[in-house]
Amino acid sequence: MKLYKKESNIVQILSFPNETVEKGDYLLIEDADAGKALIAQVIDVQFANIPGILEELLRNLPDGGELVQGEDFDPLEIAPHITYIQDASLLICKIRATVENENLSPSSSWLPSRSQSTIKKLPIPTLLKLAKVDGKLPIVLGGAKDSSLLTIDASSLDGRLNIITGKKETGKSHLSKLLMLNLIGYKAMVVVFDLNGEYLSLGMTVDGKRNAYYDKIHVLAPSQNFKVALKQLNLHVLLEILIHALHLPGTSAREFRRIWQSLKERDMLNLHELGEAIRNWHCNQHVRDALFSRYYALVNSGFFTDKFGEATFLEECLFKANEQGGAIIVNLRNTSLIDRQIVVEYLLGKFVELLTNWKLKAVFLFAEEAHLYLRETYWDDIVTRMRHFGIFTTFITNQPDTIRENIYRQADNIFLFNFTNEHDLEVVSRAARVDAETVKSIARDLPPHHCLTLGKVVRDFPMVVKVKALDVKTMGETRLFFKE
Amino acid sequence: MDTTLPQRLIELSIHSLKHVQNQPFQLNQQTIQQSNGFNPQALQLKIQPIPLRPKHEEIIVAAVDTSSMKIGETTTGTLIAIRGANVWKQNKNYRYIRLGPFIFHITEENKKEVYKTLQRAYFNTPHEQNHLNSPNLQQMPTRMANLLERWLQTMLSKTINNGLILFDGSLTSGTPDTPISLMKEILEIARKRGNIVLAFSKMTNLRFNGHLITDVLPRHKPPYMLETADLKPKPPIVLLGDVYVARLTKGNYAFRLDIDKEISFERSIQAVEKLLGNDLLSQSYPETLRLAHILCTFTANEVIAMQHFIASKYSLKIINRPDMHRLLFGPFGKGEGNS
Repeated sequence: MKLYKKESNIVQILSFPNETVEKGDYLLIEDADAGKALIAQVIDVQFANIPGILEELLRNLPDGGELVQGEDFDPLEIAPHITYIQDASLLICKIRATVENENLSPSSSWLPSRSQSTIKKLPIPTLLKLAKVDGKLPIVLGGAKDSSLLTIDASSLDGRLNIITGKKETGKSHLSKLLMLNLIGYKAMVVVFDLNGEYLSLGMTVDGKRNAYYDKIHVLAPSQNFKVALKQLNLHVLLEILIHALHLPGTSAREFRRIWQSLKERDMLNLHELGEAIRNWHCNQHVRDALFSRYYALVNSGFFTDKFGEATFLEECLFKANEQGGAIIVNLRNTSLIDRQIVVEYLLGKFVELLTNWKLKAVFLFAEEAHLYLRETYWDDIVTRMRHFGIFTTFITNQPDTIRENIYRQADNIFLFNFTNEHDLEVVSRAARVDAETVKSIARDLPPHHCLTLGKVVRDFPMVVKVKALDVKTMGETRLFFKE
Repeated sequence: MDTTLPQRLIELSIHSLKHVQNQPFQLNQQTIQQSNGFNPQALQLKIQPIPLRPKHEEIIVAAVDTSSMKIGETTTGTLIAIRGANVWKQNKNYRYIRLGPFIFHITEENKKEVYKTLQRAYFNTPHEQNHLNSPNLQQMPTRMANLLERWLQTMLSKTINNGLILFDGSLTSGTPDTPISLMKEILEIARKRGNIVLAFSKMTNLRFNGHLITDVLPRHKPPYMLETADLKPKPPIVLLGDVYVARLTKGNYAFRLDIDKEISFERSIQAVEKLLGNDLLSQSYPETLRLAHILCTFTANEVIAMQHFIASKYSLKIINRPDMHRLLFGPFGKGEGNS
């Protein structure tokens, strides 16, 4: 390999056919005289612009597009040299860092010698060592490009905002399960908003046996084993539900507040009394109608109960998970849009309450397709305010444009699977932790189950990893009609 | 097939390159130039066109071309490459045999030996030209390519029956690289096997009334030919062909066409008509000959590959001798090749 050009933080390297370099590989451009080296990542592989190549190709196809048949008597065997030159490639590489005395700096302000520099592939383990991507809480993501293992540290997910995105069937949920199970292994508390019921059987192996996580996976099915008594609710949580999920107007909300306080003073907070209070409350008929319609929405959701005994499972699970580590899977599969919003509003309010009181240490929240249940105003809340309370969110989506640009800008880690759509890549490339060229060029060619890992987990050295297989029952498969 | 010449070419190539090992060499700064010499002469041009009708009677059309290239300089000489191609059209398909590239390191010391050895290998018997001085270093690429071209022409003449053989250039002989006896021999062999040689010149210096003969085109629907007369070259130059101007397709392209003198006028005309019926013609030029040219021409890519071959196999260190034109005249110096 030979250094050809450097423009800004992009270097172009001439590579020959016997040197196998692919997109995503890291190269070390070492200038021994300067005592420094550049670490550059290949973001594109192109044909080198060889003089005369067009003529070479054209003359082989002059006969109406068909190859002219013939024999070549090439005694000096020049043909392999011609092929060698023709197949030379140009590696477009992004400079990621400079190494000097085994220390990394993000500088790319110096120019290595074009004639004297040596260029070689930088093995991922060496890079990880240089970048100090290690720690006491390893999570093996899978195999890197050179077949070595890519291990990140669980603490690099702690207090962070993460995004897992990619088009359908590329392995997003698989990676989120892997991260989740590893966090549980380190006694973290994980909450999953499971939209498709994919996480329900994580406590089972592929062949249906109980695995090591069995006792740590707690599945909450709203309206079934997960119900809430009005007494457990804070007024502001219920008002959030009424205003944001059920769109209760402001005037009616004020009346509801009075009704609630009246019932609370009389220790009569239950569904039946709430209904009666609305019926008998002195207020405008329109307000009453508005309150009644929301009241019945709450009742019909089945999520609220007057039996206190039915409403204890959540806290039990939370405290168990808080002590021993565990996952609370909120199964939103068979829940309507309104009910989903009610459940999510309640849970987020509950978490904030428990975290504020230090009853919980921290929650790793995994939110699949969050736009389907998270109200607009919550996005900023989650990435700013709630993070300070200890809710560390991982968004998982196959529609990157459903996540706002400011979320991408604040994301600490992005796990990017394949996207072919330009628009999708454009959205993701707005992430602050990586340049747009890297995202667009590498993500477009990622095979299934391969993920471009960006951000703090890899110390801002984007790495392609084949996510390792998990021995858990995934249940993420789509139901098919034409299935044998 | 007589393989004497290619065998000799390989031996000489390897032998000459061995003597250049570990020497620095200067990349050739000149652009690819393929030379073709002409003698300006006055002649008569019969303005009455000879109309042509394509004859579709199936025959083989074959063509020869060679190419030479200076690929660099060493401290003692130059590195040159030559390559040749025979192309033929049979049963509506084009096929080719391509020989080379052969790379030589030519120095003042070995140029005579190289050239004479090849001449001997080709001529078999002593020839009058063998006694001539060997060419100078600048002429060597063209002269070496000419030797290969004559050999390829002979091979085609010996192997094809009742076909058309297309040469690149004219049937002028008596020049250092085209001895009269040699060209006569090639044409005679071709005739004996029922072949007719047609030589197309891409450029000509022949003028009629001060104009190039290929520019004096009557308003007549092509294809047609114009006959020339009274063309008397000065000795030792001899014309072994009758010279025509051939405008074979629409458009204003016409070429000087030499047809073996020993072939009757009628057969000559028929030969061109058969060419029209058997080969593709574009811009008045036969596709077979175009392919031969394309196949043997060196592309820049191949030049780099040959330089790579020499550097890797013979450990040559590539150096850049400063271009004196650029050095002295800066942006006004257009390079030595364009001086």
